[in-house]
Amino acid sequence: MNRRDFFKIVATTGATAAAAGCQQATEQILPLVVPNETLVPGVASYFATVCRECPSGCGVLARNRDGRVVKLEGNPDHPVNRGSLCARGQAALQGLYHPDRFAGPQRREGDALKPLTWDDALKLFGDKLGAVKGKKQALAVVTQLESGSLGVLLDRWTQALGGRPRVTLEPFGYEAIRAANRVTFGRDAVPYHAFEDAEVILSFGADFLETWVSNVHAARGFARMHTFRDGKAGTFIHVEPRQSLTASNADEWVRNAPGTEAAVALAVLRLMLEGGAVADKRYAEVVAGVDPKKVAEESGVPLETLQRVARTFAGARPGLAVGGGVAVTGSQATQLQVAVNMINAVAGNVGKTVRFGPDHAYGRVTPYAEVARLVQAMAAGEIEVLVLGTAVNPVFTLPGGLKAAEAIGKVPFVVSFANLPDETTALAHLVLPDTHWLESWGDYAPHEGVMGLMQPTMKPVREGRPMGDVLLTVGRAALGTEEGKGPLPWPTFEQYLRAAWEPLVKGQWEETLQHGGVWRDTPPAAVTVSPKLERVDAAPARLEGPGDGFALLAYPSLRFYDGRSATRAWLQEVPDPMTQVDWDPWVEINTQAAARLGVRQGDVVRVSSPHGAIELPAYVSASIHPGAVAIPIGHHYAPYHLRLKYVPASGPTNPMALLPGAADAVSGAPAFLSVKVTLAKTGARRPLAVLQATHDQDHREIAQHVDLATAREQALRGSRAEHPNLSMYAPQQYKGYRWGMSVDVDACIGCQACAVACQAENNVPVVGKAEAAYGRQVHWLRLERWAEGDPAHPHNMFLPMFCQHCEVAPCEPVCPVFAAYRTEEGLNGQVYNRCVGTRYCGNNCPYHVRRFNWWNYEVPAPLDLQLNPDVTVRQLGVMEKCTMCIQRIVAGKDHARDEKRAVRDGDILTACQQTCPTQAITFGNLKDEASTVSKLAHAPRAYHVLEEIGTRPGVTYLRKVVRAAHEPAPGAGKGHA
Amino acid sequence: MRDPDPRPQPIAGGAPAAEPTFADVNRDVLATLGPPGNIYFAWMAVVGLILTCGILAWTYQIFYGMGAAGKRTPQMWAMYITTFVFWIGIGHAGTLISAVLYLFRARWRTSIYRAAEAMTIFAVLTAGLFPLIHAGRMWFAYFLLPYPNQRYLWPNFKSPLVWDVFAISTYLSISAVFFIVGLVPDIAALRDASTGWKRRVYGMLSLGWEGSDRQWRHYRRAYGLFAALATPLVLSVHSVVSWDFAMALVPGWHSTLFAPFFVDGAIFSGFAMVLVLVLPMRHFFHLHAYIRERHLDMMAKLILVTGLVLTYFYICELFTSWYSGDHFEKASLFWRLTGTYSWALATMYFCNCISPLILFWKRARTNTLVLYVVSILVLIGMWFERFNIIVPSLGHDFYPATWGIYVPTITDSTIIVGSFAWFFLLFLGFIKVMPSLSIVEVKETIPAPMKDPRHVGHH
Repeated sequence: MNRRDFFKIVATTGATAAAAGCQQATEQILPLVVPNETLVPGVASYFATVCRECPSGCGVLARNRDGRVVKLEGNPDHPVNRGSLCARGQAALQGLYHPDRFAGPQRREGDALKPLTWDDALKLFGDKLGAVKGKKQALAVVTQLESGSLGVLLDRWTQALGGRPRVTLEPFGYEAIRAANRVTFGRDAVPYHAFEDAEVILSFGADFLETWVSNVHAARGFARMHTFRDGKAGTFIHVEPRQSLTASNADEWVRNAPGTEAAVALAVLRLMLEGGAVADKRYAEVVAGVDPKKVAEESGVPLETLQRVARTFAGARPGLAVGGGVAVTGSQATQLQVAVNMINAVAGNVGKTVRFGPDHAYGRVTPYAEVARLVQAMAAGEIEVLVLGTAVNPVFTLPGGLKAAEAIGKVPFVVSFANLPDETTALAHLVLPDTHWLESWGDYAPHEGVMGLMQPTMKPVREGRPMGDVLLTVGRAALGTEEGKGPLPWPTFEQYLRAAWEPLVKGQWEETLQHGGVWRDTPPAAVTVSPKLERVDAAPARLEGPGDGFALLAYPSLRFYDGRSATRAWLQEVPDPMTQVDWDPWVEINTQAAARLGVRQGDVVRVSSPHGAIELPAYVSASIHPGAVAIPIGHHYAPYHLRLKYVPASGPTNPMALLPGAADAVSGAPAFLSVKVTLAKTGARRPLAVLQATHDQDHREIAQHVDLATAREQALRGSRAEHPNLSMYAPQQYKGYRWGMSVDVDACIGCQACAVACQAENNVPVVGKAEAAYGRQVHWLRLERWAEGDPAHPHNMFLPMFCQHCEVAPCEPVCPVFAAYRTEEGLNGQVYNRCVGTRYCGNNCPYHVRRFNWWNYEVPAPLDLQLNPDVTVRQLGVMEKCTMCIQRIVAGKDHARDEKRAVRDGDILTACQQTCPTQAITFGNLKDEASTVSKLAHAPRAYHVLEEIGTRPGVTYLRKVVRAAHEPAPGAGKGHA
Repeated sequence: MRDPDPRPQPIAGGAPAAEPTFADVNRDVLATLGPPGNIYFAWMAVVGLILTCGILAWTYQIFYGMGAAGKRTPQMWAMYITTFVFWIGIGHAGTLISAVLYLFRARWRTSIYRAAEAMTIFAVLTAGLFPLIHAGRMWFAYFLLPYPNQRYLWPNFKSPLVWDVFAISTYLSISAVFFIVGLVPDIAALRDASTGWKRRVYGMLSLGWEGSDRQWRHYRRAYGLFAALATPLVLSVHSVVSWDFAMALVPGWHSTLFAPFFVDGAIFSGFAMVLVLVLPMRHFFHLHAYIRERHLDMMAKLILVTGLVLTYFYICELFTSWYSGDHFEKASLFWRLTGTYSWALATMYFCNCISPLILFWKRARTNTLVLYVVSILVLIGMWFERFNIIVPSLGHDFYPATWGIYVPTITDSTIIVGSFAWFFLLFLGFIKVMPSLSIVEVKETIPAPMKDPRHVGHH
């Protein structure tokens, strides 16, 4: 024990008598020496930019307080996301302030990366480029999808230096959609899918509520078409071997045998044609070889189901069929997409819900076949300098069969612009950390007609430099040209960007920056179905591996995408909504298979394919197809996670390691659904951190539902029957406002965006796997999945649960010191300074939404810069919980007072409400009868969780509307719900 | 069965089964305060070591946080409150024996009441530590006291925890005063028997007691008054403690049964603890002449009766849960009976309902070994009773998403064991400093001294 520890212990022991001994040490604050004159202390500025956590390109408003970005919100004007962000977007801040970010350039010396100065680093890079400049095809540039100016500059730079054509590496490139569109419509594009306009959505494995193409956009559209409103509600049918989050939002989830998606789609198409959907001989030819009976047998989908699906979809005005999530992309991926195109064409959806014209930027992704060729060239020693952009991690994201790590290892000089260490920077010779996208200039066009403009939202946290600037500098050095001359004349990327945007903005630069970009309607491109259509093969996807193996479903993680978001501890701690597992990766095994293998949940299982083997703890599920196992893609860990006492598995856990390197012959896509794996129990155990104790409500009616017909009837009849006030006391009188919230369980898709937004807004600490598994997570808002019905085919409801702000709150009377108290505006206040930590309130809260600070949770620098200055950082030993974003309420009231008026509906948005892609959450004044929340609180679908206890919550839930029948015709049979 | 007593009877003259004389009482009781032997020091060392571990564990917990104890959502309370209630319960029997039995003139109490009262005080002192140990920010525990402050903040008088503060502090102060008042004549006897600095210390503590008639009259009146004052506390303290649970919503807690249920359990466990303390004292200090089989028999009968009443309450608890028709109550009950902690419930039923039944036999009631084993079992059972109320009820309450299993840690277990060490340290210290048998009251139960030359020279 050293002297300091001794003193600490002495001081703590003394604290039994002396009160002040345990207070947190005073920290010094440093004001800006020369404050920016536009910076008003305590007042936030918002900067518009574009989220670059995935290729969706959502608009972002970064909330800057005193020079530091503290919160991200969707840009309400941006056409892609209209103000919402997903969980990954919300967590981007943790990438910005990540403790593991490279402090500056690094150079490989032996096995370790050693820092060096920017000048030395640029010189080194310039020299290498100079040496390679003359040689043909010896320079390779690999970046993420850059659909804007940086992409153009990169291409120009690569060309000037004589490199190979730049490779845009997006592990999930949806090449099959493009390939099929080439076949059917003669257009190499990923079209715009208008989910919002569809009446019926039919998805063949497209996980559009998770990661597929543009998930926030899809979720918004889905909510608009699907959520019960004014008696109307759309229908969604999903075909997938596994019950994914998207599948559990479907009104009917059809479980097919893995690899039979194309066959099922073709059978549906044939049945639609047989039902007289359209009289066109061309289509008949396409499905000539399809026998629905045989398909029903192979896929395990009953013929009646196929017929019903075909009937329902054919009757939709309009419908939308989508297909091809990553997990089901195999040798039949193109056939599936062709079938989907046909279904859309036959139903007359092309041009309505499937719109070419505003094509998605995915169309510019380099097909995987090209990527594979580059890797082969590297392996053959043809590449001398490899330049890797930020957020590309080929070692982790490319299929194991490609052996990308070995190939990159053969490249004499690898430069990486990554700003966080990953599997690929471990092989890099030089790391030139790029600035984070929140610190950078740039632009990104997610689809035609939408050009998002990016600006630095704050000064860089670390000594990073923008990739564009670095490339311009070293490019000129290598080419021996000067600034203003040659092919790369621009001094900085910013100037290049301004020059490129000048024709677009026409002098309105600042307005455009404020707006977040330029968007205009893109005229729809008229496409016609190719006159000559070929017969489509309905055989199941080819799966390599032993016949008795399990088809591997490798699917992109909702939280980590391809792994690029996995360094964010917020996302690690927020559980996967379906399994409720946090931190660890897992392999989902069917109950029967698990019983056969003697595997229990948490047993480590060795998953072997012909291309590799990984070891993962088992998650036993009754719903996954018995012939399949599923593994999420993207789980990997940063050194920072080790500080949160997380011990990752020693070996690889990414299912990409199990996949073959060869591209699919038709589409050029990687074959995700292409192997059968064998499972072997290793004998080891790694208990999973499952945050929800059970998905069974035990008849407690926590998440409630109502069938569509009843909901319609009730909607006509009007408001709900109010529960009488059973208290012997008079109900509370509210002088001013009474704040309340409502959550529409019918709209909630379980995407976890609200949970992460809450964590970001309210300084909610991350506690690590062991603590979270032991019921000590501090999430103020948790997302629960409640399952009903047959465990093999559950009907799921998602319920965001947070403090219910009860009028008769069980937590309040039991607090001995008035730390929990009722405010005059209907909130359950919690005074941290007053809290002694008896935790009585935590016991007495029937919802268990009160969280305790079991430890002093550390926020390592520079993550502490993200802490919201408007929200107290709680100390060891106090209770905390949802405050309905009291800081936002106060700000909203201040704002209204400045304008000499009362707070209006919509003035105040809570963090969870603000980000919700489906607008399931509403906040407002319950006293105002005209406010949305007030109307919803008295809506026929309204209920309170555990209403019978008499807590009279301020949060109202709206029942999920289940489609008892999928048939448009009355009197049809019951569905799965 | 007779107590084996190889030692010569303390009474001279060899009178058959003679009562001890006043002189014998003085001698024998004061003999307990003689210089301790090796066994005593060995016990002190063990107890001191365990207490040190407990203090270190607590220090660790204060320094690093409540996370060191195995609590979680939903069991925000666990072993600390279990042990708190346990000690409060133990603290019950002392007042019952000294005050209630005094008022009812149950003469058999005289030889055990001093030990029982000391046990009460020490048990309450031990219990009083737990709210501090348990609080997340124990350094602000004084917020629970209604002290005048700039912010005009008062404790929340609706909270059962504030009631606890008052109930327990009242109980502690009344018990302490009662205890001290009862001690005064005995300390005077001690003063007279000791020399040197001890005499000065005891002299001060005896508050000038001379044994005059006037003093005796005042003493009697005061003693009776305090007994009357302490009697309602026997019922109130544990009722209030039970309301910590009964006032909460938690299924398994929210019951009107709790107050009498807790009071009875407290008396039950209190008598068991008295036996656990008195039996060794009787053995090591050779007090068989004072703590006689009759006394053991009476205490055993009380244990039996309270045990049977407790069994009745258990049946009531099961019945009301089932009969209520309340889904949450029924689910909670069913889980307690069949879930992860069913072993704890079985232990409780065995220890509290089955094991005391042996006391229906007179021979068992006077057999020290049987009594000792039953008492230990009762203490274990009563600890588990509180555990079963707190941990499984919280683990399976209203909200299925957060159901969970509490697992003790080394830190909280060490603190719990340390609390026992703290109690025994106080008690071991007490028996060497103060007369653990009431000289005054024992004398009252034996015939007044006749003229006898052997009494000359004694006071």
